[in-house]
Amino acid sequence: MDDMTKTASPTDGIVVGGLAVPIDAVTHDRLEQMVDYIMKYCLWQFNSRGWDRKKQNAGIIPRTAQLLCGEEIARETPGDRYYWVEAVSLAEAYRERLPWLADMTREEIKTLLQRLHERIDYLTVDGSLNEELTVPHY
Amino acid sequence: MSSETTSSEAMSSETCEIEACESKFCQLKAKERIGTINPIFTCQPAGAQFVSIGIKDCIGIVHGGQGCVMFVRLLISQHLKESFELASSSVHEDGAVFGATGRVEQGIDVLLERYPHVRVIPIITTCSTEIIGDDCDGVVNKLEEELLPVKYGDRDVHLLVIKTPSFVGSMVSGYDIAVRDFVKKFARKTEPNGKLNLITGWVNPGDVKELKHLLAEMDIDATVLFEIEDFDSPVMPDGSAVSHGNTTIEDLQDTANALGTIALNRYEGGKAAQFLQKKFKLPTIIGPTPIGIRNTDTFLRNLKEMTGKPIPPSLVKERGIAIDALADLTHMFLADKKVAIYGNPDLVIGLAEFCLDLEMKPVLLLLGDDNSSYGDDPRIKAIQDGVDYPMEIVTNADFWELERRIKDGEIELDLILGHSKGRFVSIDYSIPMVRVGFPTYDRAGMYRHPVVGYGGATWLAEQMANALFTDMEYKKNKEWLLNVW
Amino acid sequence: MPYHEFDCSTCIPERKKHAVVKGPGEDLTSCLPLGYLNTIPGSISERGCAYCGAKHVIGTPMKDVIHISHGPVGCTYDTWQTKRYISDNNNFQLKYTFATDVKEKHVVFGAEGMLKQNILEAFKAFPDIKRMTIYQTCATALIGDDIDAVAAEVKEELPDVDIFVCNSPGFAGPSQSGGHHKINIAWVNNKVGTFEPEITSDFVINYVGEYNIQGDQEVMLDFFKRMGIQVLSTFTGNGTYDGLRSMHRAHLNVLECARSAEYICDELRVRYGIPRMDIDGFGFEPLSISLRKVGRFFGIEDRAIKIIEEETAKWRPQLDWYKERLRGKKVCLWPGGSKLWHWAHVIQEEMGVEVVSVYTKFGHQGDMEKGVSRCGEGALAIDDPNELEGLEALAKLKPDIIFTGKRPGEVAKKVRVPYLNAHAYHNGPWKGYEGWVRFARDIYNGIYSPIHQLSALDISKDEIPTGRGFLTARMLSDSSLSDDIRNSQVLKPYDGKFDPIAGLRAKTYPDFERLARTASAAATAAE
Repeated sequence: MDDMTKTASPTDGIVVGGLAVPIDAVTHDRLEQMVDYIMKYCLWQFNSRGWDRKKQNAGIIPRTAQLLCGEEIARETPGDRYYWVEAVSLAEAYRERLPWLADMTREEIKTLLQRLHERIDYLTVDGSLNEELTVPHY
Repeated sequence: MSSETTSSEAMSSETCEIEACESKFCQLKAKERIGTINPIFTCQPAGAQFVSIGIKDCIGIVHGGQGCVMFVRLLISQHLKESFELASSSVHEDGAVFGATGRVEQGIDVLLERYPHVRVIPIITTCSTEIIGDDCDGVVNKLEEELLPVKYGDRDVHLLVIKTPSFVGSMVSGYDIAVRDFVKKFARKTEPNGKLNLITGWVNPGDVKELKHLLAEMDIDATVLFEIEDFDSPVMPDGSAVSHGNTTIEDLQDTANALGTIALNRYEGGKAAQFLQKKFKLPTIIGPTPIGIRNTDTFLRNLKEMTGKPIPPSLVKERGIAIDALADLTHMFLADKKVAIYGNPDLVIGLAEFCLDLEMKPVLLLLGDDNSSYGDDPRIKAIQDGVDYPMEIVTNADFWELERRIKDGEIELDLILGHSKGRFVSIDYSIPMVRVGFPTYDRAGMYRHPVVGYGGATWLAEQMANALFTDMEYKKNKEWLLNVW
Repeated sequence: MPYHEFDCSTCIPERKKHAVVKGPGEDLTSCLPLGYLNTIPGSISERGCAYCGAKHVIGTPMKDVIHISHGPVGCTYDTWQTKRYISDNNNFQLKYTFATDVKEKHVVFGAEGMLKQNILEAFKAFPDIKRMTIYQTCATALIGDDIDAVAAEVKEELPDVDIFVCNSPGFAGPSQSGGHHKINIAWVNNKVGTFEPEITSDFVINYVGEYNIQGDQEVMLDFFKRMGIQVLSTFTGNGTYDGLRSMHRAHLNVLECARSAEYICDELRVRYGIPRMDIDGFGFEPLSISLRKVGRFFGIEDRAIKIIEEETAKWRPQLDWYKERLRGKKVCLWPGGSKLWHWAHVIQEEMGVEVVSVYTKFGHQGDMEKGVSRCGEGALAIDDPNELEGLEALAKLKPDIIFTGKRPGEVAKKVRVPYLNAHAYHNGPWKGYEGWVRFARDIYNGIYSPIHQLSALDISKDEIPTGRGFLTARMLSDSSLSDDIRNSQVLKPYDGKFDPIAGLRAKTYPDFERLARTASAAATAAE
């Protein structure tokens, strides 16, 4: 996919479910690629309950952003360590599969991953049609 | 719970009490343990389901949890390598608490809507719905007054209730009850049809084929309950084949007009024969299960007596071919071989009788339920009177009755005859086994071969001999014997 | 919403929301069937009951346990010898099953006394087995037997035995899934934390939601052992009762079938702080990612990488041999629950087939979320399918092969679609690298069966081909391949053994030196 041919402009801004602000076509496409990988290769976003999914998403996606930006991540507790593991896997897959990431600044990556986080929250929780997400017990 | 409905059936819920045996050698006794380790039989609804798939345009609805039908469908499918249609009323928690008759009503409507060919729906009850006391007869009355005339007025639809609580009897009595209930539901006296009713009991497609062959040789027209030859169904180039039985409602109706009834199995179809005898005064012969030469001879004699048709030379020849084959095997290979036999009671008794004719020694017969009338069975009494070596007949038996005796060295076996659920006894103790009965999923095509008739006798004896031969070779136990034969 | 309405189900309109077709641009917020709702009676659904979900699916694979069902004999008989969950203790759990054999008098007068007698008899018959699970059934739930009280009484009399009670009658929920849930929660509530295991490694996991179908668990254990990881318990295939009482001592729960076993992982995380890591044991890439994740968690990723490299080098040429021959073949992926998402994407990626439909007998919407996400556009996703819908879908989709259960497989056979047993496998194990090649081999053998090809011929109408007395699968599969691929010196068909598990059982493993530092850190982490 040749993303360099696309140019972002405010005029082709689109709103995607769960995203607070309109996004341009390139960002949209990149987000879709990132979402697609998570959906096809990961399982952590599909814990059974909504509150768990939010936790998982918040535990893994921002850490992935940190890793992509070269930041160190604390992994003192088993829980932290687990999130780190998933984040490393995701970050490695993104680096390998999404060459355009290499050309992005840390700020751009953070922003993009923030949007990814919103998008995944939307797809798996807020916009989800799964009626069992609100069941109070496991 | 509705105790009336259950205790009225022939099976007593009391532990089988059998009068002290007079025989010097053969004990008839019930298993002493209360529990079951590796059951030989499943429960009543399974028998009723097996009957219902033998009827054309019939889909049974099993009133209970979904497992009661899902696993029986699987079991039948394991045995026959075919799939058969059976429905569930899918009783869930709410139904178990508040009653589930609404589930049956809905289920019948859904079945009729989606299966336009369906003409008969038996409601087969289970332990759960018997305990909660669902009034299924009431459901039938209600549907016959409302749903059927209003929504399906242009169709000829029949409903009946088959009460098969799982805590009474076994799959064998479930089969017996279901045959009776179908006959009772449909049999109508009109004009004599000159046909014979042949109630086969729980057999295989191969058996029905063999029985029909004997009838054809005798030139006898019969209503066969049930027409399950086509359980062995094809794969057609256009993908159109569906596995189902072929006994029609009209066949069942016409049973009242027969010249008589022969029920081959006392415990699987005997009740229906008795019903026809009582209600329509039909001449009736129950038994013997035509396994082996002698029992087949008796069967042919019974056919002759009931129809007046002679036994033709072709069957004399066929019998001779079987005798010829058996003579090759008995003295040299089968004589004195100790055998344990388990499974459906008529099958077990028939096999034991045949083994005795073959000079073998059945040392242990296992009957998997607590039917209190086994002690009155003349065949069992005859075996008790006739054997001159130690033998045990255990009722309410499980596979542990077999395995424990082997493990503790109480019996030494040369051969096991029975269905596939006992396979690990054979495997773990290295005892050759011939698969016979229901289910036989761990051997290919067993359902295709008869155990009844002269053909069945030959097949059985040769299976037993070949099992022994293979065992001799694997164990290098006089394997050279077969160098010349 | 892209719901799919089956012609055969227009008279049961509620079914409409149980099937969807994933269209272009569809995602989970617009494309998800309903799931895990009460079954429509009379629909000829394929679902089982909550008793079988608890006893047959999850309970019985535990290998050193007397599994006794308190009820009439049928429940026990019917859930005996229909599965292929083996064990390394001579398959005790496959061979022996116990029923209290409740009869009418017990229904009327109560069955607690006979239950106790049953328990004592069973322990007496098998003096070496000291563990027991008692499963409630519909009948004994309805008569209200207090099984727990009886079990407690026996435990007092026989101090060396332990008994687990699972109250999951057949009617408890829309499908077997209700039973999965009940036994998960009962186990974590009553048994976890009641046994202290010997810890022999710095790296300790529970392997959860794995049932050792044809040896899957043993294949995965081989990887974990090669990495120096102690598998404290497997929930439950080839698992031991006391191992599973020790689950609280693991550092990590590695979860395979979330459908049947996520509950216990979630509870262990909340109660003991043990993280839940979902993995895929099927497929080269998902398995490799999974092994690396587990390794990385313990700081031993290098050990995982070594295994991945060895296994991939050995088996990739064989997997690719099949991929070249399976490309574009249409598959209906119709399993029970988790395999629809375990396999949906990776069989397309790694075997080149196209998943045209997924279904789940007893799954929940969560399973469909994963399944719908992982299959491609145009795939038909069906919840709680029934007989007629299955046939309608087969007629419409014309798949080359179907992965489903034994009995539905017989239905498919009649419409001339070859089937593979998705639950018990044809010639498994199918997990691991070699297992995945075995799966590909089984698919290939199914699709290119010369007998299957013959089944299309109508000898009364069609031209009957003459000239050759046989065909081979290879002749059928290779006719359209390029010379390069057909004659490749690299690619080759599967050359493993009939039984790859026996070798694993005989294997010895390196002794990894334990690090005091890590040991104490891990122990702290587990507190």
